[in-house]
Amino acid sequence: MKNTILIVDDMEINRVILAEGFKDEYQIVEAENGKEAVDIINSNDDIAAVLLDLIMPVMDGLDVLKEMNSSGIINHVPVFIITASNTEQTLVDAYNLGAVDIISKPFVMNFLKCRISSVIELYRHRNELEEVVAEQVKTLNRINKSMVETLASVIEFRDCESGEHVKRISGITEILMNAVNEMYPEYNYTPLEIEKISMASILHDVGKIAIPDGILNKPGRLTNEEFDIMKQHTTKGCEILESMPEGILDKDVYKYSYDICRHHHERWDGRGYPDGLKGEEISIWAQIVAVADVYDALTSPRVYKAAFTHEKAVEMIFNGECGTFNPKMLEAFKQSMDKFKR
Amino acid sequence: MSLIDDLKALGANTDEALGRFMGNASLYERMLGKLPPAVESNQVMPCFESGDNQGALEKAHTLKGVTGNLSLTPLYKAYSDAVTLLRDNKPDEAKEIIEKILPVQDEFIACIEKNK
Repeated sequence: MKNTILIVDDMEINRVILAEGFKDEYQIVEAENGKEAVDIINSNDDIAAVLLDLIMPVMDGLDVLKEMNSSGIINHVPVFIITASNTEQTLVDAYNLGAVDIISKPFVMNFLKCRISSVIELYRHRNELEEVVAEQVKTLNRINKSMVETLASVIEFRDCESGEHVKRISGITEILMNAVNEMYPEYNYTPLEIEKISMASILHDVGKIAIPDGILNKPGRLTNEEFDIMKQHTTKGCEILESMPEGILDKDVYKYSYDICRHHHERWDGRGYPDGLKGEEISIWAQIVAVADVYDALTSPRVYKAAFTHEKAVEMIFNGECGTFNPKMLEAFKQSMDKFKR
Repeated sequence: MSLIDDLKALGANTDEALGRFMGNASLYERMLGKLPPAVESNQVMPCFESGDNQGALEKAHTLKGVTGNLSLTPLYKAYSDAVTLLRDNKPDEAKEIIEKILPVQDEFIACIEKNK
C-alpha cells in the first residue's frame, strides 16, 4: 500500500508545515522545485499523493503536471495544488492537467488533512480494483487463447497436417502484421490488435472439420467436384464460429476469425473464393493469412506432394503460381521472410 | 512576553497559525525564525526599482504564501494586495503598498530576531 506524501515547495517553511501535518500517518519526501519532484515521482513508486506548489524556480508546478501526464502517472497518483495563487486561468490549467484539488495558502490544516486523506483512500481503492480487473482480464485472455487453440487442435485429429501448421500461421501472421505496420504508414495496428489477429489466424481452417475424410486426406489431385466441396471449408468455418455461444471468444478475435475463415482464399485479382473479393475489398488480416497459408503449405509435405524449399516456395509465390497477392503484402513478405524461413 | 505574544500584539493571528502547526508552538517559533532569511532573499523593492515587475510579482507571491502560512496577517494582506495589483498591471500602486508595509515587516523581523 502506497504510503508516502511528496511535498513540493521552494519555501522550507511551507514544506515543514505540511510535513508536520502528515508525518504521523505517512512517510514524507520533500522537493524544492519541480525538477526534483519529477525525479522523485519517476523513481519512487510508494508516492500516495503529491502536494504541489505552482510557482517555483527551475520547474514550476504546471510543468510537473505536464510531465506526470506524459508518463501517465497522473492517473494513479493524486496531485493537490497548494498555492497562494488565485488567478483563475492558472487554476483552470491545473485542473485541466489532472490536479484533483486546489487548496489556497494559508490553509486550515485539519480541513486539508481530511481532504487529502479521503482522496488518498479513494485512489488506493481504485488502484486495488484496477489491479484486480487487470488480473481477471489476464485470466480471461488466457482462457480465450486456450479456447481458440483447443478448437484449432480439433482439426489436427481430422487433418494430420494442420496441427503445427496453425501455430506457424499464427507466428507468420504476427511477423507480417508487424512488417506492414512498420513499412506502410496507412497501417497502424496496436500490439493488442496484432495479438488478436494472430490469435484469430489459428482458426483459419476450422471449417475443414466439416470436409469429408476422403476429400480432406485424398493423396491425389481433387476432381472439380471435390474441389468445390473443399472450398466450402471457408464458409463452414464461419458456420462453426456462428454456432459458438456468444462471449466464448473475445468479440474482436471473433470478428477477425470470422473474416479470416471466410476470406483467406480470396486473391488480389478477384480470382479467389468463396466471394471473389478483389483488392482492398479483402481485409489486411485475411490477405496476410492468405500469403502465410500458401507459404506454409508449400514448404510443408502434404499427402499429395513433398515439401518445397523456402527458395522454391518464394519463387512460386512471387511468380503468381499460387494466385496474385497485394504487392505491398509481397514486399512485407520479402522484407521479413528471414524471420520465419523454414 | 513570549515571541508568540509579541507577534499577536503586532497583529498576527497566532491562534490560527498554531492550528496549522498542529498546536506545536516550538515548531511555529522555529519556522518564524526562517522568516528573516526568506524576506532577505525575496526583497520586492529592488525589483520595482529596476522595473522588473515579473520579478516583483514572483517574490511578492512567495512572501504572500509564507506570511500567510505563518499567519502574519498584516504582512500577508499587504503581499496579497500587491500580488493582485501586479497581476492587474498596476505596479505603482503595488509598490506603494510594499513601501508602506516595510516598516511593519521590520517590526516583525526585529521581534523574531529579539526572541531567538
